[in-house]
Amino acid sequence: MFKIPLDFFQGVLSILKGFVVTGRSMFRKPVTIEYPLKKAVMTERFRGMADLRPEKCISCMQCVRICPTAALDLVSVMNPETKKKVLQSFCFNAELCCFCGLCQEVCPTKAIFLNAVYEVAYYKRSDVTSIDLMKPDKYAHVGELASGKGKK
Amino acid sequence: MVTEELIVNMGPQHPSTHGVLYLELKLDGEIIVECRPNIGYLHRSIEKIAENRTLVQFVPFTDRLDYLASMNDNLGFCLAAEKLLQIEAPARAQYLRVIVAELNRIASHLLAISTFAQDLGAYATPLFFAMRDRQKVVQIFDELCGQRLTYNYIRIGGVAGDMTPEIARMIGEFVLYFRKMVNDYDELLTHNIIFKVRSKGIGIISKEFALDYAVTGPSLRASGFKWDVRKDEPYLVYDKFDFDVPVGANGDAWDRYYVRIQEMRESLRIIEQAMGAIPEGDPVAKVNKVFRPSGEVYMRTESPRGDLGFYIVGTGETFPYRLKIRAPSFSNIAALAPLIKGLNVSDAVCALGSLDIVMGEIDR
Repeated sequence: MFKIPLDFFQGVLSILKGFVVTGRSMFRKPVTIEYPLKKAVMTERFRGMADLRPEKCISCMQCVRICPTAALDLVSVMNPETKKKVLQSFCFNAELCCFCGLCQEVCPTKAIFLNAVYEVAYYKRSDVTSIDLMKPDKYAHVGELASGKGKK
Repeated sequence: MVTEELIVNMGPQHPSTHGVLYLELKLDGEIIVECRPNIGYLHRSIEKIAENRTLVQFVPFTDRLDYLASMNDNLGFCLAAEKLLQIEAPARAQYLRVIVAELNRIASHLLAISTFAQDLGAYATPLFFAMRDRQKVVQIFDELCGQRLTYNYIRIGGVAGDMTPEIARMIGEFVLYFRKMVNDYDELLTHNIIFKVRSKGIGIISKEFALDYAVTGPSLRASGFKWDVRKDEPYLVYDKFDFDVPVGANGDAWDRYYVRIQEMRESLRIIEQAMGAIPEGDPVAKVNKVFRPSGEVYMRTESPRGDLGFYIVGTGETFPYRLKIRAPSFSNIAALAPLIKGLNVSDAVCALGSLDIVMGEIDR
């Protein structure tokens, strides 16, 4: 006579037990977000794209020196009257950036910081490799995220 | 009838090779006669990069070694650098480091067991369950350091940011939550007869074999050899905590899986004790220091995958003269070729999944 092995029943029992565990999670709150429709609010310490408050920058070059991937390019000239450095241009290469956040930690005046922008796709490569941080509307294309509202 | 051996290329783009690992399999029917693992597809010369960076600048690069357990890699490098520079982190930073390292161990083990189950055909469900629980750990890290994968949290001489009461509440909640949820994996996988039949007796690593091939971590402990750097050569404040080192009996794929499940429970115990005993103070490190390391140092820590070592040589310059990383996955993958000899191709996938390798660490 054909005999069904014991393993078969144990297998069915195991699968049923699995169904119970899976079924239990049906009554839990979903943890996913429907991303393009709803955008997640980033945390307070989130490290997005580099951003600058040009009026605060004193051109001390600390961020340029600590950057592990040399993603920052700062040009400044000395004002002969006041003996102070004046910021000329500040370019950020997002392609090299590894979003480590060391620049914002060493900045003595909190001029450079990482904002909440996490949508970092561009149409042209040249747009990514030299982002002019002096321009106020450099991240305008991502909408609300750039204005600092993206963080808690 | 004439039979001949067939060479099959498994990888580098194969869903079960956990990254860009290329296995050259010589098959006799379904049986593997010979296996040659080829590595190097993810090589980024991180050890060479270290020779052109200061110690502070190199910390973000350690995130990219073992990308599933960045905290442990950060920790290993920073401890080695601190040993070389003779710095000691504040007490609060030491406790915070233990907490984040153990949280990361849980996240890493969750991914290890779930992808292992996925390799065995438990399609999607365990992976989604693990991702759901891992999300809670990742959220804690997101609050703590601002990233979800490359944390760059642990610094030479401390940590990047202090734990706020909100984060402490999240960690406390996670410990209570996960203590219940880890039982789900027992019901779903551990005592599932189909899972057991697939993984019991496959890829047996004996104690002698493991020691010969320098297999470390859960794969070594599954063979019954009780070796844990946290216990045997305590670093940080691990000697103050009460935890067990789970060991397996046979050293097969199921044992390696079950050791990881038990280790997650032990990690929860460590986190709970550390949260209870964490002292007050300022753990934040000052980063804008240029160090001039001289001398050489080797520091080993217990990463989720095994014995992670950093060897730094300094000659008084700002850049280290040489940096060598002893990656646990690299030693573990060396044991794969003799391990899967004589197995079916489907069982080779099981043996590979149970070793829990990360290619970022192997190729560096």
